[in-house]
Amino acid sequence: MRIAIIGACVLGATCAAAAAQQVAASQEREFLTRPRRLTVEGRRAGEGYWSKDGRKLVFQSERQADNPFYQIYVMDMASGDVERVSPGAGKTTCSFFNPETGDILFSSTHHDPRSKTQQEEELKFRASGQERRYSWDYDPEMDIYVRSAKTGAYRRLTQARGYDAEASYSPDGQWIVFSSTRQAYERELSAAERKQLDTDPSFFGEIYIMRADADGSGVRRLTSVTGYDGGPFFAPDGKRIIWRRFDEQGLIADIWTMNLDGTDQRKLTDFGAMSWAPYIHPSGQYVIFASNKLGFENFELFMVDIDGKKQPVRVTYSDGFDGLPVPSPDGTQLAWTSSRGGGREGQIFLAQWNHEHALAALRAAPAR
Amino acid sequence: MRTWTRATLAVLLTAAVATLPAHAAAQTSAQAPASAAPPTRPFVQALASERLGGREAGSADERAAGDYLASQLMILGARPLPGRKDMFQSFTFTAGSRDGGSRAAVTAGSTASKVFSAAKDVQALSFSDDAEITGPVVFAGYGIVVPESQGFGYDSFATLDVKDKVVVVLRYFPEDADQQTRGILARYSDLRYKAMAARQRGARALVVVTGPRSPNAGTTVPMAFDTAIAGSGIAAVSVSSDVGTAIFAGGKPLADAQKDLDTGNPHVAGFALPGVEMTIKAAVTRERRTARNVVAYLPATAPVTGVDKPWVAVGAHYDHLGRNAHSGSLAAREDAGRAHLGADDNASGVAAVLSIAGALARQPMRKRHLLIGLWSAEEIGLLGSAAFVGAPPVPADQLAAYLNFDMVGRMQDNKLVVQATGTSAAWAPILERVNVAAGFDLTVQPDPFQPTDVSSFNQASVPSLSFTTGAHADYHKPSDTADKIDYEDLDRVAAMAAAIARRVMELDPPPQFVKVEQSAQTVSRTGVRIFTGTVPDYASAAKGLLLGGVVGGGPAEQAGLQKGDVIVEIAGQAITNIYDYTYALDLLKIGQPAKVIYLRGTDRRETTLIPAARR
Repeated sequence: MRIAIIGACVLGATCAAAAAQQVAASQEREFLTRPRRLTVEGRRAGEGYWSKDGRKLVFQSERQADNPFYQIYVMDMASGDVERVSPGAGKTTCSFFNPETGDILFSSTHHDPRSKTQQEEELKFRASGQERRYSWDYDPEMDIYVRSAKTGAYRRLTQARGYDAEASYSPDGQWIVFSSTRQAYERELSAAERKQLDTDPSFFGEIYIMRADADGSGVRRLTSVTGYDGGPFFAPDGKRIIWRRFDEQGLIADIWTMNLDGTDQRKLTDFGAMSWAPYIHPSGQYVIFASNKLGFENFELFMVDIDGKKQPVRVTYSDGFDGLPVPSPDGTQLAWTSSRGGGREGQIFLAQWNHEHALAALRAAPAR
Repeated sequence: MRTWTRATLAVLLTAAVATLPAHAAAQTSAQAPASAAPPTRPFVQALASERLGGREAGSADERAAGDYLASQLMILGARPLPGRKDMFQSFTFTAGSRDGGSRAAVTAGSTASKVFSAAKDVQALSFSDDAEITGPVVFAGYGIVVPESQGFGYDSFATLDVKDKVVVVLRYFPEDADQQTRGILARYSDLRYKAMAARQRGARALVVVTGPRSPNAGTTVPMAFDTAIAGSGIAAVSVSSDVGTAIFAGGKPLADAQKDLDTGNPHVAGFALPGVEMTIKAAVTRERRTARNVVAYLPATAPVTGVDKPWVAVGAHYDHLGRNAHSGSLAAREDAGRAHLGADDNASGVAAVLSIAGALARQPMRKRHLLIGLWSAEEIGLLGSAAFVGAPPVPADQLAAYLNFDMVGRMQDNKLVVQATGTSAAWAPILERVNVAAGFDLTVQPDPFQPTDVSSFNQASVPSLSFTTGAHADYHKPSDTADKIDYEDLDRVAAMAAAIARRVMELDPPPQFVKVEQSAQTVSRTGVRIFTGTVPDYASAAKGLLLGGVVGGGPAEQAGLQKGDVIVEIAGQAITNIYDYTYALDLLKIGQPAKVIYLRGTDRRETTLIPAARR
């Protein structure tokens, strides 16, 4: 290589790693070995969820030339083949494998006749070179779909007006738990509530459960505390649900668990920060989640014992965003979304997960 | 070194390598698994051996290395390009230049002309034409022209008529201007820029004098290492303060003129020197040498009629710095004259290319031809790859892609850097898919303007990628040896790249080229004159400038900086990367203390660095 020499300064190198960050990297490596960027294509990607056999990962990515919004893709973890599994139009988010059938659920707005116009407008905006802060719009058109593994056909599971998303299957594939803002569209809102809906629709998000073979009927609401409840997943034994609950201002969130009927709600964290995106390790012993405890824009991964008796333990040490952790079904790997590849946009990263070290660190953690 | 005949050496090398257990030839036997690629280790060990003396372009060592590579390619099943008898593409280049007896004579009014011919008084600039010019003299200040596109408004020639004149300019840029002005003017203060500006305005000769208020005051400019084949269309010399005094004898002293100009005020102009005439004889002796690219191919397995862009190219440079390196060496003084073996730079890249060729040779189906290019004279200016794309045996528009390998043998923490990904939208999806199995911690850099051969192919509009594991403490030193190469990961890099080459071979349509705009940051910075004695290290994605070392006795060492420190601010300029740093260097003043904030471990510290002049 030919690197221009400038006053004995070697040019052509890109950036330099701060020594302090190297120390941090070695701490991170006790939990996560051989971390690497998994997704490369497209502007951003995130939320990778494993198939039951660990051979596939379903995720969302902005990588389609004529659609600036997320679409859903499946990556074959052996061959590297990547296939789009959502229809290609509109916005989509929050996919999940049915552990039994291999069907894939996700939320989508592709039935919205305005989809194409919205895509074009967003592309035009991006082409203009303007930038705005990344934000999620809680589109009330968002409904839950499932794509059949056998036929590739789509089936719409929810019809209600309101944002229906953040859905996941129970381990036996029989139930779906999700978050919805439908209450804001079902009843007459007060003036204050209407204003709230305009500025922050997620305020109306609550957790719901339905049968996986549902047609939109028989949905049960599990939470009723004011403020955004979202991101629910089943525990590995299928007996409890873990989710995040925001305060009324939408700035502070904590990790909670509850029974499938909404009873026995327990709070696992108390950082006074935005703690969210919890996922229970397949061992059932602890939760990995994201929090901005260390800085408003610096999300790191933490973990906490399943009962929240100890103080959470920090997992990642990297500037920017680390979140949405999902352990592989055998518990030996972790897929998560991170901006550590550079820039502000997230991509999916993959690393070996050191379960034994995680258990030891949790044992050593002080009581809460 | 001992002299060998070329043929003997080639045989010896091949024989020496053949005795190694994992030699490529041993694996071409029928028993070898079809998917196995030749291991990289024997190639690196042969190329980085003392026998090949560091493979300096144009040397007998480089010829021997070329012969070795041609023999290895033959063994792997590659052949000379269609219509060629052998695998060599020769090209000539300028290996060095020295002054060929330049002179300057100054005549002012009726006084007798003063003639200067000593080396200390007059030196041709390395890019000068050989010419003898006589003409009236115009002083054009610093001779700086900032392009109008910069919206800055500085043109030393704006009010002057220099047509057919001898133009005298000051070296460097205005000394007292504010930081921002200096930062802009510094970018256009390279002597080549000044010569070009003078020539474009019709001047016949350029005379550079280092002003009394500048570093290196009054001395001539040392002949720079320059690979230019011919002059740049103008006679150009630098002269001493004695010559300067003779030129300015009849009017305003040079020191006063410089002081006015040093404000950086764009309205301070130069002036004609009535009655002063100069005769300039500029003479540059350029040493011409011949170097060789080694170019071969694996033919497609079926006719390529109807295949759009039926070639995929892989390449790496095989030359290095040799023993008596040019300015490229970073060897410590006690190592002067030792061979720079260049195991990582770039025996590793060549080994990767040979391994890829070996892997693809065993592939039953190849829809496109695989072109294998091993370039020479990369270290002195990407000359080999430039010669290839300048007179390509295969037209550049027939190349579906080019994959470049430069320093791929020192992997740290599983990190692989892939550069030039912006040259085609096809790269991100291919890299994502291939890396799922390869499993590298990829850093993706869109910029193709890299200091390696990928630049040449980008300029020829070929979609390209360049692979590297980055620089290290042994970069450009005799200590870059074969025992420090991480062969297991080098084999992995080769396997991943072979998978990419396979995909591109199948791709229909081929990758579409995307032109990446060159950012101002990557423009060559030959005008830098500050010496800080810092040796930046390489790594990815973090903030600051990590020092891989400091030059003994240099300003950085005197300031207490050491290897491992991370500079985050210098003279009030935040430093987030190497470009910030080189930019900040323009803003420093020689001899004027600059505050440096740096991290040592987790400590944030502060020191004062006093920049020195770079000659």
